[in-house]
Amino acid sequence: MNGSREFIKGKNYTASELMAITTCKEFKDWEVAFVGIGIPLVAGILAKRLHAPNLSIVYESGSIGPEKFRVDFNVGDSSAADSALCLTSEWHVFGDLQCGYYDIGVLGGAQIDRYGNLNTTAIFGEGDYYKPRVRLPGSGGGNDIGSSVGRVVIMMRLEKHRFVKKVDFITTPGFLDGSSGARNRVGLLGGGPEAVVTSKGVFRFHPETREMYLHTIYPGVEVEEIRQSVGWDLIVAGDLKVITDPSYAELLALRSADPANLILGGAESRKELSGFKQFVNLTLKHSTK
Amino acid sequence: MSSSSKANKLMTLKDVVSRYVKDGSSITFGGFIGRDCLAAVHEIIRQGAKDLLVIDDSKTDVIDMLVGAGCVRRWEGAYAGYGSIGLGNNIRRAVEQCIPFPLEVEDWSNAAVSMRFLAGGLNLPFMATRSMLGSDMIKYNTRIKVIDDPYSGSPVALVPAARPDVAIIHAQRADQMGNAQIWGFTGNDENKARAAKHTIITCEEIISTEQVRNQGNLTLIPFYCVDAVVHVPYGCFPQSCYGYYAYDVLFCGEYHEISKTRKGFLGWLDRFVYGCQDHTEYCQQVGWDRLKSMVQLEKQFNRI
Repeated sequence: MNGSREFIKGKNYTASELMAITTCKEFKDWEVAFVGIGIPLVAGILAKRLHAPNLSIVYESGSIGPEKFRVDFNVGDSSAADSALCLTSEWHVFGDLQCGYYDIGVLGGAQIDRYGNLNTTAIFGEGDYYKPRVRLPGSGGGNDIGSSVGRVVIMMRLEKHRFVKKVDFITTPGFLDGSSGARNRVGLLGGGPEAVVTSKGVFRFHPETREMYLHTIYPGVEVEEIRQSVGWDLIVAGDLKVITDPSYAELLALRSADPANLILGGAESRKELSGFKQFVNLTLKHSTK
Repeated sequence: MSSSSKANKLMTLKDVVSRYVKDGSSITFGGFIGRDCLAAVHEIIRQGAKDLLVIDDSKTDVIDMLVGAGCVRRWEGAYAGYGSIGLGNNIRRAVEQCIPFPLEVEDWSNAAVSMRFLAGGLNLPFMATRSMLGSDMIKYNTRIKVIDDPYSGSPVALVPAARPDVAIIHAQRADQMGNAQIWGFTGNDENKARAAKHTIITCEEIISTEQVRNQGNLTLIPFYCVDAVVHVPYGCFPQSCYGYYAYDVLFCGEYHEISKTRKGFLGWLDRFVYGCQDHTEYCQQVGWDRLKSMVQLEKQFNRI
């Protein structure tokens, strides 16, 4: 998921920042997390710096439990290996994932349906799989994480073209058709999606129907606004909760985890840096080593 | 092979690419969006290889540039994008608009590609995985065979061995026999090197066989898998090389911005690939102070 620098109206933080802070609370101390690149990773780093110092992050490139002195831009950056507990191969960490050692995975996506099935392969538009309107990167390790990890947290901007009745392509299965035991029947081991953290609120999944419902809303957001951005008839929790604004300490920790704002702020922040020297200086200045 | 060519496999990048990378070759690259062999990719583009079949797990610059330069007919892989920066502009143009050529795509997951190379490295016809079950990859990729495990009866996906013609893998250090030592995470490199018919090692430093013997645990790829060794310092730039230099996110950001148009990408190729005779000229074009800066950054965190 790419970032944006725009502050939420009347607030001193951006939607990307609120999403990262909200997601970070899904990690528990001492858990092992398999995290995708971009804002999900920043959320993992933040959790380590706030309430979960013993969280171990695993990277598909083969790094287990690195210290997070600096942010990564790819799962294979040398930073992903900084002071790691174990440096190994890709097939070993996927094997460990399949053995059930990993508690939580965080993924992004381009399309999602009410059962948490995710598409990161292609947006068909008027075309099809072979000639799509937008070709996306593909599964990467997303399918593997979604298939076998203990529980999955998904991060996506809430937009109508993303929250659709039917995804064009199931890259990473959620609860499939939502029927009882659907994951088990096709042979999937992991627990499936637990939460969808969006730019307007948080969705969770009903334990019996496995359908996504609105669980928590961000300050200043109307439920109707969320309904309008979802491509199906959305269920809203009877005891809908409202998230409190992030604290100063949370925002400070988050901003120093991505000091040049390159992940949370996206391309605009990149253009604002004077050059590689400023980037190196910022990284060293905010390094926790 | 004569005994002298077994003892000393040092070659130039030019010679190695022209000997092993032919039109229509199947090929895989080491690293995992980090320790990627960009210098070799640039040389493949300079020599104008065509119709390559790239079999790989996750790639950014490597696959985006090769596709944009018109070298690739088919991609069998899991991820072809541009990391936290965005989508691969050349990948998109090729798949969506057939520019410069149509690109055949066969989708796999990273664990599936890992199992394909493990099967190749074990000289077995296939491996099993619990990934991709229930996904549409199975619908469109008929080479993924879902069977009931003959022992327990539960569903499992089979994936065929990958045996590419060529693997090019960048290591931190290697001796001239081809024993390659790798620090940091290792991706699927040990299996890619074993599965490929020809394996080429590019490396930051050439060391003596005596030095290899001092730390044999670090040798991920033994000499008998290796056909050629090429000394290419800064061979991964703008990607990172653990212990040597950090990822240059701004350089990649500029590439992503300029490659949004075909014209911009071709201009970039002229400047950084066709306009440079070899990797040293590329380094000059990038700027030595820039490279040194990435070295300085990396050494604050990882030293070998």
